[in-house]
Amino acid sequence: MNEPDPTGGLVPVTILTGFLGSGKTTLLNRLLKEPSLAGAAVIVNEFGEIGLDHLLIEASEEQFQLLDNGCVCCTVRGDLVETLKTLRRRAAAGELPPLSRVVIETTGLADPAPILHTLIAEQELAGRYRVAGVITTVDAVNGPATLERHAEAAKQVAVADRLIITKADLVDGWTVDALQHRLAALAPAAERYLVADAALETLLDAETPGREDRIAAWFDKAVQSVQDHECGPACDHHDHDHGHHHDHGHHHGIQSYSFVIDEPVEWAAFATWLDYIAALKGEDLLRLKGLVCIAGDLERPLVLHGVQHVFHPPTRLGSWPSPDRRTRLVFIVRDIAREVIERTLVKFAGVRPAGAKAPERHAA
Amino acid sequence: MLEKSADLVLGNGRIYTMNRKQPWASHVAVKGGRIVAIGDAASVAAFTGGSTRSVDLKGAMLMPGVVDVHAHLMMGGQAELFELRYASTSSFETIVEKVREKAASTKPGSWIIGGQWGSDLHGKLNSLEALAQLDAAAQGRPVMLRDDSYHNRWVNSEAMRLAGITRDTPDPDQGSIGRDPATGAPTGLMIESASGLVESVIANSGYYTEEMDRAAMAQSISTLNSYGVTAFLDAAAMQPILAALKGLDDRGELTAWSVSAMPAVEPSFMFGIAGDQLIALKEQYRSAHAKPDFVKVFLDGVPGAKTAAFHEPYATDPILGCCFRGSTLVTVPDLIRWVGKCEKLGLAVKIHCAGDAAVSQALDAIDVVRSFNGPTRLIHHIAHASYIAPGDIPRFAELGVAADLSPFLWYPTSFLEGHKQAMGVERALRFWPNKQLLAAGALLAGGSDWPVMPNPDPWNGIEGLVTRQNPTGEFAGEALWPEEAIDVATALEIFTINSARAIGLGETIGSIEIGKSADFIELDRNVLEIPADEIADIKVMTTWFEGRVVYERT
Repeated sequence: MNEPDPTGGLVPVTILTGFLGSGKTTLLNRLLKEPSLAGAAVIVNEFGEIGLDHLLIEASEEQFQLLDNGCVCCTVRGDLVETLKTLRRRAAAGELPPLSRVVIETTGLADPAPILHTLIAEQELAGRYRVAGVITTVDAVNGPATLERHAEAAKQVAVADRLIITKADLVDGWTVDALQHRLAALAPAAERYLVADAALETLLDAETPGREDRIAAWFDKAVQSVQDHECGPACDHHDHDHGHHHDHGHHHGIQSYSFVIDEPVEWAAFATWLDYIAALKGEDLLRLKGLVCIAGDLERPLVLHGVQHVFHPPTRLGSWPSPDRRTRLVFIVRDIAREVIERTLVKFAGVRPAGAKAPERHAA
Repeated sequence: MLEKSADLVLGNGRIYTMNRKQPWASHVAVKGGRIVAIGDAASVAAFTGGSTRSVDLKGAMLMPGVVDVHAHLMMGGQAELFELRYASTSSFETIVEKVREKAASTKPGSWIIGGQWGSDLHGKLNSLEALAQLDAAAQGRPVMLRDDSYHNRWVNSEAMRLAGITRDTPDPDQGSIGRDPATGAPTGLMIESASGLVESVIANSGYYTEEMDRAAMAQSISTLNSYGVTAFLDAAAMQPILAALKGLDDRGELTAWSVSAMPAVEPSFMFGIAGDQLIALKEQYRSAHAKPDFVKVFLDGVPGAKTAAFHEPYATDPILGCCFRGSTLVTVPDLIRWVGKCEKLGLAVKIHCAGDAAVSQALDAIDVVRSFNGPTRLIHHIAHASYIAPGDIPRFAELGVAADLSPFLWYPTSFLEGHKQAMGVERALRFWPNKQLLAAGALLAGGSDWPVMPNPDPWNGIEGLVTRQNPTGEFAGEALWPEEAIDVATALEIFTINSARAIGLGETIGSIEIGKSADFIELDRNVLEIPADEIADIKVMTTWFEGRVVYERT
């Protein structure tokens, strides 16, 4: 906590999501009791499951309410962008306590991707706030059925950095294991915790700038676990009728996969490819994270983070965070076949992901 | 069986069906506007009842109605009804004389609008001497004369005064104002978007009323019908055009299938909302025969004005220098975004590409979209697929892109003379590699680009595809790249079933098959049996649209 601030003074924003009744409000209430959360602002959608119990003072006309523990709670009445701008302005003017972090609790049905998208794309916000991660709660009792029935629930899981399993004490261990397996298939790169085991004081910071060792660890783990849940070469990726015996994470068309590229990447061609995929598949590109080795600057990899058709300006690391200097790309997508990414990477970015076929002849 | 009785039986004809499985028949039966039987007398006998009207074709040739893949109906109708007309081969002196005659019958202060002068006159018109002669002929009336490409204008001093154009007026984006090299004074030559400076004054003056628009569309459609055209794609459909087509269809007065291409950006020659704003209205203008199913993107200009984008530079020019290649109006990433967006909306894209570099970029963009999106049922068009780098020819078929063959310039014309000046004779002559495209498996679709062609007579185009010589007798003895000539049967397919497929109506029109629309034309001779140089003389005797007679030659 006393290290120099590598975040450029940006206020971290954590998105807390989870389907109706999955326990996210309970989790939020517990988080708000943490001393480290003093000075946090909590944004809840007024149509959401507002249930901040005793922490909430009597309902008032005021959009911003000071909670007992010093947190600010506000409801989104207009749009999120305006709320975040106002919050910042009023904190700066001294009308609200200084802003240390923001937690956005979405409604149960919300798609978190547009919120991430807003935080990255809105220029004024991008200069003030940074995405600290997406936390999704899944309850062990209803979660499996909810994931089966609701595409929104599957998407909430797919985009999560951290998955918190709630109500595990109400079911047997086998059920929890099955759910864990299912979550791992949908979001192989996400960290999973039982709510009882989650370390609340660090839960909100899935992404911490300046901790390059963590970035490396994340990619190592993500690529490994995505591969563990991917189909082999013989697997038919076009089979969408939910094979019951093997779970490939084809939930509502959502899947994740990763690519490892041995050769350094020509940035101009790769950026063109990013432009193309954002233009044509942005809506279905739920998240893309990349650690990219650039030809001409081999010592300083780029970190990419994209949500739908918007990409963070890539961050250049001062050095490689681990001995593995290969480019790694992790995708969470809806209805984009792995072959499409592979084929277009070969064709337009001029790279050959490990295991990809030789480039097909491209008509002149 | 009464319920099976056809409304109409056409018999004793030489019916060329455009259905390769059954190319010829003698009888066809129609019920409810659709073909219910095709074959010999016995095939239709069961459909002939008391209420059936029988027509004896007396051995005449009957074929499906022609499908024009690229026309501008509003302008065509306006030109026909309201404007000063002269041939694109007219000399400078003839044009000035025509303006003088028109001025005599035009109220002082009223616009004289006309066309189309040949692209080879660019140099001649771009001078203060020429302007002085036009001013003298117009006697104070504003004049605007369009060129044969419809991209450029020649206007007089009064028109420039009304438009506020002076020597201090800067060139607009993607256009230029012709200027006297010594003084910088404008000559009245308006290149590309500069045309809009004057056109918008006319549009805003209320010169074209709604009534005129409606009359123009109705006139255009009846003109098309008279040449045997029963379906068309309007290649720059602004809101008044969409409204007129829907309005006519609602009244039962639309006598052709219409597909509309909504411009992605406001074209230089038409005014009003375009792009997303216009596309958002598409469903309100849809009806049984009015289908706003395309978006039009202008990727470059025209070769004669050196606004088309080429791989190799134009001939050296005192203003543009040695190495000017033209440029595209839309970047490849933006074109990719447009094509991607249109595909999501179920719209195909017609991309205007006059130069070979524009063709390459359009194909590149579609290649990117196909690589990400996979196959589609939509057929995008490269209009006007005329100057094409050899390596791009196979890509049409590979990418499922239609080659929009329009206007009818596959033989020597004044356009070609302009192209020779712009890029040298040798390059100018490598124009319309139709046979190579065909051999490479491309879908070739025929269109007039009316009023760029002064009339939309497809028989002129069909003859030209076969002979590569000018059917009017102009440029006698000359042929354009004769190795690219194609046979008559293929040319007929290009103007019927191929165009039908290209505009997304291949299941409904374009051939005489059971279930398809009863759109027929009866010809005064058998197009497959006459010498090729007589094809342009063919007269359409009767045109049927959905089984109704919509044109009869008198």
